[in-house]
Amino acid sequence: MSPFDEYLHAVIMRAHQEARDDGAERIEVQHLLLAVAAEPEPTVRELLESAGLDVDTIRGALDREFVQSLSAVGVASDAYDLPRPSRLPSRPKMGTTGKLALERGVFGTARKKDLRPAHLLLGILSAQAGVVPRALAIAGVDQEDLAARVRHTITEKD
Amino acid sequence: MSEVPTDPADALAAVVALRRLADRLEDAAVEQAMRAGWGWPKVAEALGVTRQAVYKKHAQRLIAAGVRLRRREG
Repeated sequence: MSPFDEYLHAVIMRAHQEARDDGAERIEVQHLLLAVAAEPEPTVRELLESAGLDVDTIRGALDREFVQSLSAVGVASDAYDLPRPSRLPSRPKMGTTGKLALERGVFGTARKKDLRPAHLLLGILSAQAGVVPRALAIAGVDQEDLAARVRHTITEKD
Repeated sequence: MSEVPTDPADALAAVVALRRLADRLEDAAVEQAMRAGWGWPKVAEALGVTRQAVYKKHAQRLIAAGVRLRRREG
């Protein structure tokens, strides 16, 4: 396996875990975002940190996004004291938004040998709507600006 | 009654969040029912779905969680 393949494999394994902890049947883009933030890979970590993001801030923003989106239709998410879901024993499959992130970042762009961890982050940050853009906005992150810096890092190293 | 949020992004995000909340509630409620000795047919009827659907969605998880499942009618 190439270093990038190893990185991608490690991220997807982490994303599996995030999805399971979330009680989700599928890996979605937010699970990939949490996974790249947790993965000890310096370039991606530094990019995220430059925007004030790490696993904890991302998780917090995702939680707030959930609460806010429910409250917009008059539902208080803390009205139910739900137990943590029992975990699925099997691996979750890749969901639609997870696939989109991979297609945009990894499979659709660079030649395979040019792929770097930042490409995956760029794919995640290419989300135009949904949970991730909303959570990033809640965290005070300028998504466009961060994506531009990720692109810059990719071209700089070519 | 609150109205549909005026921003489409908020309205669509509310749909996603409600589905997630409903899924979580379903996981908890089905587990609770099966621990209380309900059978698949009754749980399925209560949810308004087929027995196959509820089994497919929850059996693996509940077996892994050590819930004793009834085989027959309930």
